[in-house]
Amino acid sequence: MWMLQVENVYKSFGDFKAVNGANLSVNKADLVAVIGPNGAGKTTLFNLITGQLKPDRGSVIFNDENITALPAYQICRKGIGRSFQIANIFPRLTVFRNVQVSVLSQQRKSWKLFYPADKLAGEETESILKNVGLSDKARHIAGSLAYGDQRALEIAIALGNEPELLILDEPTAGMSAEETAATMALIKRLAHSRGLTILFCEHDMEVVFNVAQSIMVLHQGLTIMQGKPDDVRNSNQVQECYLGGAEPC
Amino acid sequence: MKSRFKSFAPYGVIWVVLLFLPPVIPRFYTYILTAIFVTALLAMSLNMVVGHGGMFQFHHAAFYGVGAYTFSLILTKTSLPFWVGFAAGPVVAAIVGLLIGWFCVRLTRLYFGMLQISLGSLIWAIAFRWYSLTGGDDGIHGVPVPDVISSSISVYYFILILLTICLMIMYAVLRSPFGMTLQAIRDNPERCEAVGINVRRHQLLGIVIATFFAGVAGVLFVVLEQSVFPDLLFWVLSLEIFIMCLLGGWFTFAGPIMGAAIMVSLRTFVGIYTEYWTLILGIILILLIFFLPEGVWGYVLEKFGSRPYGRVERKDVDASGGERI
Amino acid sequence: MLPDLSALGSQFLVGLSRAMILFIVTSGLSFVLGVLRVPNVAHGSLYMIGAFSAFSISKLLGGGAMGFWLALILSPFVVALVSLASERLLFCHLYQREHLMLLLFTFALMLILGDLVKLTWGAEYRSIMAPDFFEGSVSIFGLSIPRYNLFLLILGPLVAIALWLFTNKTKIGKIARAAAVDREMVGAVGINVSWVFAFAFVLGCFLGGLGGALVAPTVSITLGMDHDIIIEAFLIVTIGGLGNMWGAMVGSLIFGLTQSFGVLFWPQFAIVFPYTAVVIVLLWRPRGMLKSVW
Repeated sequence: MWMLQVENVYKSFGDFKAVNGANLSVNKADLVAVIGPNGAGKTTLFNLITGQLKPDRGSVIFNDENITALPAYQICRKGIGRSFQIANIFPRLTVFRNVQVSVLSQQRKSWKLFYPADKLAGEETESILKNVGLSDKARHIAGSLAYGDQRALEIAIALGNEPELLILDEPTAGMSAEETAATMALIKRLAHSRGLTILFCEHDMEVVFNVAQSIMVLHQGLTIMQGKPDDVRNSNQVQECYLGGAEPC
Repeated sequence: MKSRFKSFAPYGVIWVVLLFLPPVIPRFYTYILTAIFVTALLAMSLNMVVGHGGMFQFHHAAFYGVGAYTFSLILTKTSLPFWVGFAAGPVVAAIVGLLIGWFCVRLTRLYFGMLQISLGSLIWAIAFRWYSLTGGDDGIHGVPVPDVISSSISVYYFILILLTICLMIMYAVLRSPFGMTLQAIRDNPERCEAVGINVRRHQLLGIVIATFFAGVAGVLFVVLEQSVFPDLLFWVLSLEIFIMCLLGGWFTFAGPIMGAAIMVSLRTFVGIYTEYWTLILGIILILLIFFLPEGVWGYVLEKFGSRPYGRVERKDVDASGGERI
Repeated sequence: MLPDLSALGSQFLVGLSRAMILFIVTSGLSFVLGVLRVPNVAHGSLYMIGAFSAFSISKLLGGGAMGFWLALILSPFVVALVSLASERLLFCHLYQREHLMLLLFTFALMLILGDLVKLTWGAEYRSIMAPDFFEGSVSIFGLSIPRYNLFLLILGPLVAIALWLFTNKTKIGKIARAAAVDREMVGAVGINVSWVFAFAFVLGCFLGGLGGALVAPTVSITLGMDHDIIIEAFLIVTIGGLGNMWGAMVGSLIFGLTQSFGVLFWPQFAIVFPYTAVVIVLLWRPRGMLKSVW
């Protein structure tokens, strides 16, 4: 049974059809990538899955449950974590607190009024920070971190929710070759150590073909195909889409 | 633990000094200090939702006034005892806060503020016109306060003790998981949704707590002045409290207290020499905006404090042509 | 105790003319809000300066009909000058800051301008008389309306049309509208965004001053005018739709009419009527009735 199933979703903004018939299947413990040229609708698709947007048509099914109409915070509670394309952190809080907030939410302790937060969720937060390599910067203000560290913090915050499925929106955007390699290594390590299923989208084809076990090709909001890397690489359809015209394939 | 003690030490010293002041200073100064206590509580309650919660609470004075009027009305129009009125003030303020807040949290930022100004102004308009109930423009005078707290010194201690208790509670709330979450919501509500936080509900609880304390401040005002006026419900007061938070430093805990102290002192002493206090206030505000956006206390903490404050980048105009209001 | 139909009708027309003044004032506020994305708290002060200037200019010119008309024409320019000074000296340096700071600046401006008015004109209230031409009432469809109110009823829509033509047909107007929607783009095509803001701010304040000059013959010119009008203007632009000129018209109509009907039905609580209407509109359409400009 699929862990995540996206069936025929559509989303338009006025006349602009951002997502126009997208399909996606993610198996447990998979590493799935979504690729497509700029404007293909990758981020919109992710927003539709995690609840920032509601699809006009179609459904999103996670672990046999229809999560299509749920608000974002409930979808998160079901076990889907998300990191964003532009570093979306809590700039005035320390790195430690950034992750701690996420962990506290996961532990349903965000409503506690009279207990000092410092005494809670310390271990889990430290462990996540260690995993992403930010332990030494725990007391820094998040807004003052370098970009690469902010991206790592992005992922750390998402991990605080102990997700089953982690969705990463262009995790290596704007990174140098070394940073990219380090980030992808981190992601693979996390997937392995925490038993995460990972869905991500990327522009960097080398990254995608090296790492992903299944690739979905999105073009102008429509899913062209989804399959193993070799199948995608050899597919005529995909080649035409990328090299040919703007016609939907 | 030791560093926590160290950071509390200056407050402790000030508190002890405050304890011993009344017998040695003229009654006028005792009165001013008491007024500062009440205003400080009001400013702190606002900062809970503005500085720590990031909400555009533009008409906080409405809840202050509701608390004050509830207390006054109960004591003058009914024969219920003092403590009933005292408890009712903040509770009614919090209920009104819950009602108004429920509508406001569905909106973002500027709309939140505008709706609150509308709803709060409606309350002001009703109080202003309902002469038979609220005394209209004159307000209510001669609210009976128990003898034990009717002298200027005893009311000073009464309000100081209550202020201390309220501050301790606020401090606990801000350092709790809820307080952390509220600050995270301030920084990035979208991200909070994405980590499983029901942003609206948390904001609503923050508003209820803040308006409760505003109600307490309102009651204390009446205890001090033994009267209440529609000015307490007026939007200009709301903006003044905003300025106090800005003046003190709204990302700090104690900043608003300093802001309140500065404002009340300045208004009293400048008012002795000139009738153009608002002009001076406006100039101070402009200087603040240009040179001290972190507020007086924020600036002090940044220069001399141990907390890693860091520079937060100025908001730039974003690619879509401006911030989402 | 229902008033008779003709009283109702007259009150309707009075409310309509009051709405026209509200519209002229709030269109200025709305325009600034649309382009700069900041609600100008000092807008009421500029309205007040418009009224006081009209008083002074009229008095300077002997108080007759000529004095009145010249005051009407010149006061908005006085206000425009004041706003230009404020903008170029102080406001423009804050454009990169958070919106909350801009709002607080306008509040500071309100405080300062309020006391400057007190310094200049003193605390007593002033009044100005409309010229004899406006004496008496006129009958429309059998309903009686004071001549001055009729004048306002005609002027309001004229200003609306003029403003609409300006923002849609002239180059500057279109640039201002574009800056409201996407200031970065406007900057990117080489236009000095700061000057666009200055222009929008001054125009908005000009309209506020015009409203103040127009209202001057019908009210006592006092120091609290800024406070009274700004809250009404804020509420109107909020229910109309932020930055939307037709929204300002709709909001002004709702506000003006409910207020005049309130006076008729429940004089003691007349002021509660428009506020309640605002609350109802906002609960039904929290973002205003018409689309906001962004």
